Amino acid sequence: MLGERTNVDKAASVGNYLNLYFGQNQGVRLGESTVASCKAHARMPEKRVKGQLKILVNRDAGKVFLDFVEEGRVVHIDVYHRPGKIDPRVIARAIFTAIDEHFLEKDPQLRYAEDERFNMVIAYASRIYITTNQGRGTLYNLLQDEVEAFAEYDEGWDHVHILAQLDREDYYLVYIIAEIVEEVILTNGIKLSKVRNIIHGNEKQAQDSYAGYLKLPWKHFKGQQARHLPEKENVNQLIIKLAEKLGGVEEIQEFMENYSTNIFKRKGIQQQKKKWGDIEHDVKQLEELGILKDTPFGKIMTGKGLKLKEFVINHKCELETEIRRNTRRLPSGGGGRFKKLGQIDRKTSKVEYTNRNKTVNNPEQNWSGDLAVPETVIQALKNSYLRGDDHLTIKKQDLHYYEKKSYVPVDICLLIDASGSMAGDKRQAACFLAEHLLLTGKEKVAVVTFQERGSNVVVPFTRKQMVLKQGLATINPAGLTPMADGIVNAVNLIKDSKVRNPMLVLITDGIPNIPLWTLDAKTDALDAAALIAKEKIRFVCIGVEAHRFYLEKLSRQAEGVVYLVDDLNKDNLINIVRMEKQTSSDNKLA
Amino acid sequence: MIPFYMLERYEGNEPLFELVTMSMVSTYAGEPLHVHAEGLRGTGKTTIMRSCRGILPNITRIKGCIYNCDPENPHCPKHRDMTPEEITALGTEDIPMPFLEISHSAKVGTVAGSIDLARLTDATNPAAQLLPGLIPQAHRGIIFIDEINRLADTSPEITDILLDVMGNKPGHLQIEEAGLPTVDISVSVSVWAASNPDEDPGPLEEIRRQLSDRFDLVCYMGRPDSVDVLSHMLEENSHQHKIRNANKKGSNVYDESKNNKYRDDIMKWSEQYGKTDLPDFLRNFIARLYIKHNLESIRAIEAMQQGAILHSLIKNRDKVMIADVNRILPLALKHRVDGDTLVKLINDVESRGSREGILSFKNKQNKRVEEEEEYFQHNARALKDMSRSELVNTEKDLTPTHG
Repeated sequence: MLGERTNVDKAASVGNYLNLYFGQNQGVRLGESTVASCKAHARMPEKRVKGQLKILVNRDAGKVFLDFVEEGRVVHIDVYHRPGKIDPRVIARAIFTAIDEHFLEKDPQLRYAEDERFNMVIAYASRIYITTNQGRGTLYNLLQDEVEAFAEYDEGWDHVHILAQLDREDYYLVYIIAEIVEEVILTNGIKLSKVRNIIHGNEKQAQDSYAGYLKLPWKHFKGQQARHLPEKENVNQLIIKLAEKLGGVEEIQEFMENYSTNIFKRKGIQQQKKKWGDIEHDVKQLEELGILKDTPFGKIMTGKGLKLKEFVINHKCELETEIRRNTRRLPSGGGGRFKKLGQIDRKTSKVEYTNRNKTVNNPEQNWSGDLAVPETVIQALKNSYLRGDDHLTIKKQDLHYYEKKSYVPVDICLLIDASGSMAGDKRQAACFLAEHLLLTGKEKVAVVTFQERGSNVVVPFTRKQMVLKQGLATINPAGLTPMADGIVNAVNLIKDSKVRNPMLVLITDGIPNIPLWTLDAKTDALDAAALIAKEKIRFVCIGVEAHRFYLEKLSRQAEGVVYLVDDLNKDNLINIVRMEKQTSSDNKLA
Repeated sequence: MIPFYMLERYEGNEPLFELVTMSMVSTYAGEPLHVHAEGLRGTGKTTIMRSCRGILPNITRIKGCIYNCDPENPHCPKHRDMTPEEITALGTEDIPMPFLEISHSAKVGTVAGSIDLARLTDATNPAAQLLPGLIPQAHRGIIFIDEINRLADTSPEITDILLDVMGNKPGHLQIEEAGLPTVDISVSVSVWAASNPDEDPGPLEEIRRQLSDRFDLVCYMGRPDSVDVLSHMLEENSHQHKIRNANKKGSNVYDESKNNKYRDDIMKWSEQYGKTDLPDFLRNFIARLYIKHNLESIRAIEAMQQGAILHSLIKNRDKVMIADVNRILPLALKHRVDGDTLVKLINDVESRGSREGILSFKNKQNKRVEEEEEYFQHNARALKDMSRSELVNTEKDLTPTHG
């Protein structure tokens, strides 16, 4: 038997464990500085605990890094080290030799079958990918000195990043690889980093840490006038960031009040989170920027923070403009992260207007529009000259008309689920959608919410941003989901308002659980949906995949469409509503 | 209208004064510089731009040429094929540098060119002939467009013409009129525009991205924030004050001759413009910014180069310095990149101390290293030295249990 200290035994035992844990979708810390799993790994800067790594269970390593279709094919091995230069070729050679030696140790008979042994090892060589801060490539290529350049944002700048396409019975190689990589790092005179802890979790949308690159002017006064503008850009950008999170200048001020020294104005973090979502990240960033600081009485604003507050108050006008400009911006790219089911079939009415800037001259067509007199006369003059008439004549082909344009106005009523589960980011996304629609379109927007036991018209149909903002500020998600009540309320609002081609957009992350007429909440909502169809309102439901079955039924009842999203974020919401607005104007015109 | 010299200058509108001066210098030297002023309503964008009409220098053209042909370099269909002798025979004349406006009732015909009605209706000798529109007439001068975001929204046809005119330096214009041969000429016109991004239909870059990119430099007007500036502005504009001034100086309210100083400066600077170039290290630096920050439009870095040189000139310096690039950076980029990229770019240039040279790219990496040293402790033991029971650690093993 082989003893405790031999590598073969250690490797085999690790292989067995890995088989067990990887099979359960888990990752492990191998030794102290290596993390292995079949998933992608992430650092957790948002938490205070340092040295912690997160195994992203929803991100398969093969899919993320190597564009694999099938999951679980690739083992991801990260060996963390103190930053320092490590040549991937050295790592490659070391791994090659280690595997070779391992085979030899396991089966000393191979000593006499060198070719076979070589072939066994080389079979792995093209299935192992190595990235260090000096370059990357497959083991095979690295052995031939073919190194691809390391890009700044690649994985691997403070760890050796290895992807190995291994079968389950080959997992023992993970140990062999990890051990030799550690050895190479140490022989390079670089210390190994200790991974304190690993946790498992899903990848959230990447949050950017702006504290790293923003530079606020109030730090060092160097007294250079030339630094004027750039500083302003920095402060502006910080406000924009905060506004993106919180909603607007008013909200930033409200947020800052929470960190004033006046304890009566302060609100707890829980209350803030309910309104604005996960703000801990931002609080942390602000601390890093030196705007907030910790005191025995909680976090308060620093002198710099007060300067920032003063800046916000003094430049409210400009800042609001900037923020509105940001709200108008269309989400870039993407657009495919949702599924559409159903089709709306409604007639639309269009608005026509005359475009005085453009005239059309189309002798073939009969035209009923405004005659553009100057253009007609000029055309006639010219044509008379070309025709060789002896005096001015106006013929049919000389006639110019002003061009007519038309567009389909779609007034939108947002029906927002304000139950407890919508608190935070989802609420913010829905509010952002409302503002975006108001600022980018020419049509009216209304907002109805439902929560606890009833529903509210938060914003009646309006074109005024102030009215909208004030209404949105009152949304405070809590309680259950009385969807039927919300639908009835919204339909009544649409019926009672003067609106054109109304569209009702329901945004929810749940299903109804408070009834209106009977004792069955779901059936009530379906009955309410029938009213939407009766009033000939276009209905768009945006919900999550988990409730697909019910939401599909609901939208079928309302003769509308349902969009299933993986995440109720603002890009998804905006893309969906814009797409629906577009299709309704493309629809056959009445 | 208040003349240029009388306009109040404060921190917020200083960039616009610089921009229009730079553009006039450049235009006079023969290279257009397109500028766009964005800002809140009533902050004086249009006032400043229009007042520049008063300080424009004269240009020399072939006598009577409606296309403003430069006698040295005629470009219009009528003069371009003539010999220098023929042109000398025609004579020259001095006219003020053109400053024309495209209004919102403009049509393609009035902007590009259309049939000349006067000639067509000439009783004795009628002829079908092209009358150049505003843009060809503004050759070697400036075209001003107020509320350009609205124009881009309502007149896509005119926008297309502008795209062509502003696409290259000099630009290109094609005039078509049914029944007449197409005229193809090059035009060198600086386009100045003003808009309020907050008003319908929104900021220019959301309406017509290409057009927004055509502007070399964009400036964002700030509001005055000093009581002194504002009260002085009010005083200057009060009716009383104007009457008093008028009484003092006779019939004219303003002393137009004070504008001459600005005019002379422009002529002096544009002469220097032909002699000043960007030092190689700055050129490399700008080029690296393009690569490092993945900028899209090459116009952005061209604008930075042109802007930096012009900025150094109007500051009466004979050398371009990093401070000039610094100053121009936000103006050349704010309409082209998102806020984050802009701030990173600016801070890149700004963060030059003795340790980190301006051209050093280590900067970022160093910062990372510092950050990361905090993230991990570097005291891990190697696998080799561990016993078998220590090898595999799961989340459960590593997380300290409470209670």
